[in-house]
Amino acid sequence: MFCTSALSPLQLPSRMETHLWYVLPNEVKSQSLLSQYVDLLSPLEKDHVFSMRGEELQKSALLARALVRTTIARYQIHSRVSPRSLVFRKNAHGKPEVIWEQSDDWHPPPLHFNLSHTSSLIACGVTVGSPIGIDVEEKQRTMKSNILSFAKRYFSCEEVEVLSAISDPEVQRHEFIKLWTLKEAYVKALGTGFSGAPFNTFTIRFGVANPNPEDSAIVIVPLEKPTNLTTNWQFAQVQLAGSHYAAICRQNDGLPGGASMKVIVRKTIPLVEEHCVPSIVPVDD
Amino acid sequence: MASVTGSSTFTASLSCHKPNQTLTRAANFNAVSLAVNGKSFPSLRLRSAPSRFRVSCAATPETVDKVCNIVRKQLALPEDSAVTGESKFASLGADSLDTVEIVMGLEEEFGISVEEESAQTIATVQDAADLIEKLISKE
Repeated sequence: MFCTSALSPLQLPSRMETHLWYVLPNEVKSQSLLSQYVDLLSPLEKDHVFSMRGEELQKSALLARALVRTTIARYQIHSRVSPRSLVFRKNAHGKPEVIWEQSDDWHPPPLHFNLSHTSSLIACGVTVGSPIGIDVEEKQRTMKSNILSFAKRYFSCEEVEVLSAISDPEVQRHEFIKLWTLKEAYVKALGTGFSGAPFNTFTIRFGVANPNPEDSAIVIVPLEKPTNLTTNWQFAQVQLAGSHYAAICRQNDGLPGGASMKVIVRKTIPLVEEHCVPSIVPVDD
Repeated sequence: MASVTGSSTFTASLSCHKPNQTLTRAANFNAVSLAVNGKSFPSLRLRSAPSRFRVSCAATPETVDKVCNIVRKQLALPEDSAVTGESKFASLGADSLDTVEIVMGLEEEFGISVEEESAQTIATVQDAADLIEKLISKE
C-alpha cells in the first residue's frame, strides 16, 4: 500500500507525533541505486562507509546515511535543502545532529532525529520539538553472555528481579532484548553517551497494565540521589518487519498521564518508494 | 580512469561511477587510499580513540591477541579473519550491545572492572588492550 509517491515532500511530524522510518538492506540490490546513495554522502561519510569490513557492513553503513539524508531533506524545511546539501555534526557527547543554514529571516524548525541499525534493518526516528532516541535489535538475536550475568553487571536490581522471575528462557531473552532497546533509546535521547547515564543508575519500570495494554506507561526511575537524569520522557515499543524490536524515547509533552505516543511507521527504499505500515506493539511472542 | 583492486563487486561498481578517482583498498583493511588525478594522497587512517591510554602502557601482543579472540567470538567472525590492534569494533560490525558484551568478556577474562567512562573511549582492539593493561597494573 503506497501512501505517497517517492521523493514527494513530507509534512513534518506534529509535536504529538513521532515518525519512524526503516529500510531493509536485503531489499536494496541495485548497484546503480547504491551508487546514487554514495553520491549523496559527504567525504567523511564515504570514508566511514568504506572503512567497514566487508560488503554487507558497507552497504548497511551506506543505507544508514542515505536514509537519514533523504528522509530529512523530504521534510522540505527549506527550498535549498537537498539530501546532499545537509551538513551533520556531532554534539559534545557524540550525538549526531543537523547544522542548518541560519539567516536573519529564517529559523529552522526544531527537527530532531536518531538512527539505529542492525545488519538487517536500519531505522530513523524523527520528531519536532523533542530530542529523540531509538534503538532496534533483531528479535532472534542471541547473547554470547549469560543473560542474568549480563543484567546483574549492567542493569538495575529491580530489572534483574523482573528478568529473573521469567522462567521460560526464550521469553526471558525476548524481554531482555526489549529492555535493552528501551534503556538504549533513553540514553540516546538524552544525548550524553553511555557514561552520561550508566545503565545501572536507572530502572525502566512498567506501569500497571490498563485494560488497554498499549497505554501502560513506561517510566524512568533514577536510582542515585541527587541525579542528573531527567524523567519527563515517554516511550513506545514497536515491532518492525516481523523481525525486530524497536524502542523510541522522546520527551513527554505534558500530555494527560499515560497517553500513548503516536508513532507513524513507514518502510522505505530511499529515493524509490515508501509504504505506511501499521504500528504494531509487541505482545508476548 | 577508473580502476579498483579487490574482489568486491560492490566497491567495483561504486568506483566505476567516479571516473576521475581511483579507489584502492590497501592491504591493511582499515586504510583507504584515494588517488585523484594521478596524485595519491596519504592513506586515510581511521583515528582511534584518544591515545592517553597508549602513552605509558602499550599492551603486549599476547593481550592484543586475547582481545582479538574475544572480539572474533562475539562477532562470530571466522578464526582466520583479519582482526588486529587497529581494528575498529564498529568497522567489524559491533553494535552497542556487542561492544558491551565484549567489554564484559574482557572483564571476565582479565579479572578487571571497566567503568562506563572508560568503556566509552574504546574504539579499537588496541584501545581495549591498553586499557586492560592499565587496569591490571593498578592492582
